[in-house]
Amino acid sequence: MTPTVKTLVNAEPEGRSAFLAARRTSTAVELTMTVLTVAVAVLIAFLVILATGKDASGALGALLTGPLDRTPRIGRWLADATTLSLLGLSVAIPFRARQISLGAEGQVYAGALAGALVAIHVPLPPVAAVLVPLGAAALAGAALGAVPGVMKARLGANEIVATLMLNAVVVRVFDYLLTDHLRSPASAAIQSDPVRPGSALPLLSDFFGVPLDQANIGLFGMLAVAAAVWFLLARTPLGYRIRMTGSNPEFALYGGIDVPRTIEWSFVIGGALAGLAGAHLALGVYGGLQPDMAGGLAFEGIVVALLARNNPVGVVAAALLYSYLRVGGDVMEQQTDVGSEAVTIIQAVIVLLVTARALPELVKRHLARKEAGR
Amino acid sequence: MNSVLDVVLSTGFLAAILRVSTPYVLAALGGLLAERAGVPNIALEGSMLTAACAGALVAGYSGSVWAGAACGIAAGALLTLLLGVLHLHLGADAIIAGIGLNLLASGATAYTVYALLGDKGGTSRLHSGALPSVRLPLIEDIPGLGPVLSGQNLMTWVALAAAPAVAWLLYRARFGFHLRAVGEFPEAARSVGIHVHRVQFLALALSGALAGAAGVFLSMGAVSFFVTGMTAGRGYIALAAVFLGALRPWGVFLAALGFGAAEALSVQLGNLDIPSQLVSAIPYVFTLLALAFFARRRLVKESV
Repeated sequence: MTPTVKTLVNAEPEGRSAFLAARRTSTAVELTMTVLTVAVAVLIAFLVILATGKDASGALGALLTGPLDRTPRIGRWLADATTLSLLGLSVAIPFRARQISLGAEGQVYAGALAGALVAIHVPLPPVAAVLVPLGAAALAGAALGAVPGVMKARLGANEIVATLMLNAVVVRVFDYLLTDHLRSPASAAIQSDPVRPGSALPLLSDFFGVPLDQANIGLFGMLAVAAAVWFLLARTPLGYRIRMTGSNPEFALYGGIDVPRTIEWSFVIGGALAGLAGAHLALGVYGGLQPDMAGGLAFEGIVVALLARNNPVGVVAAALLYSYLRVGGDVMEQQTDVGSEAVTIIQAVIVLLVTARALPELVKRHLARKEAGR
Repeated sequence: MNSVLDVVLSTGFLAAILRVSTPYVLAALGGLLAERAGVPNIALEGSMLTAACAGALVAGYSGSVWAGAACGIAAGALLTLLLGVLHLHLGADAIIAGIGLNLLASGATAYTVYALLGDKGGTSRLHSGALPSVRLPLIEDIPGLGPVLSGQNLMTWVALAAAPAVAWLLYRARFGFHLRAVGEFPEAARSVGIHVHRVQFLALALSGALAGAAGVFLSMGAVSFFVTGMTAGRGYIALAAVFLGALRPWGVFLAALGFGAAEALSVQLGNLDIPSQLVSAIPYVFTLLALAFFARRRLVKESV
């Protein structure tokens, strides 16, 4: 089907509707693929649990229905998904510029630290008491994102190593500051003083009158951030530059795009979002600083971004799915003798299936063979 | 300050550096082989963890530390072969597949230990034993060096031997020549009849086996049981050592020793009034600076 002059001339109206139709189909195909991938991963977990001689259907029942059983669990799910979405969005932006930034972990701790320091020590009027710590957290995350960004864009340093090293440094500095300087004398455990009441993110329980654990208005903030990231990537010049840099840096350069500057911005904006995720943990979930407070969330944010193919709306959906499995895993462990690690296996299988593009590839090969045989 | 110097200059501390560096050296040399073959191996962490778990479990159930060590090393190699299948055959991104495999390793090891022993923490109730420490009569008598080397665990000796072995393999052996050719320019290597994928698979297997040996040291050398998540990011640090060592065997070896020395120092300084977290952060700061410096130097060279 080589384009003739006629089709080229007529391309305007027909082409657009055909393009939109094709995009709808490809979205539908991708959605089906994602659901299939998750189903296959759950099936594999089912077989693994069965192989260890445990009650697999009971365990998976608890895993899949548990999070909706009680309202506090729903709250935990939403709070977890909020942090995870912010982290997923934070890496999706550099990923879009084809920068493999693994720095979210350090940025989360920097954000939590900056946000909590302001929220604990600075008395502020209402509203500002919440917004100023959030701004501080975003700034801290952005500053930390700028370091590997500049190193990669201006010096050509490997961003994977740079971000991993920065993580190691920041986590240790955080640990040192928390144990040696910020530790609350009032508490036996290692943790900071609680944030001022006015600075804590208001809990959703207070609005809806049902116990929702730590879920807070950060949820709506996250949705706004996701919309903003979508707008940034799809509708702004910077977003265009980021996407061009990611899909073909040489072409972007010839097209007059300042590729190094674009790479730097992708790191800085990503860092700011990871900083906000840290603030959500410090001001919303924990109400202070705790050792190891981000757990493995930063790396799971990478998984979420990957699962969503760096699409902002998809990131939120993937984070909701992912957190659902996390909370379900805890329920499963409480109610059955199957460890919550089974969920990690499910998550890992999802990652491997998605990145390998194994399913479509195998299906395609199978179909091709059928056709050839006919 | 005197007490710090006393600590640093004691033979006990030098021996501790070797001990602490062992997993870094082994895993980093493994990472080097994969990297030079053109496949970044982020799954070092997962290989170590899988090997540490498999080693302790097999040793505990079979009663033989040797069977445990062999199975551990094989398990480490198996995980990187999986990376090879995903990346080379199924078109997966090596970095993301590596992260996925690390996730898989952390889930599968914890799940297996809990399912078999009912203990979330690890295999401490299994009494799996450790690999023997080695005393060589001649080396023991060398003044200065003797007390440092003597009585080190078998795997520490393996790590010390691995550096020259990898250097020989890369620069003197035919396979190493092929490996470097494949890593630098696969098309050219293919055009002269080198089996690119076969070389890469072999490099990955060796890489995983070395990372596996590092994991075996953790659960059957440093201590004699597996602890959930006991690698604690060492695989990622080893990866950094690969780049800090400028992708050369002896450079990588020294970088890994540097990370080990800083960790050993931070443990020692825990007794004194110096914050151990800050000391243990030093090698990472140093790596960042070195990364920027070397990248800049290359940039300057290229622009000339």
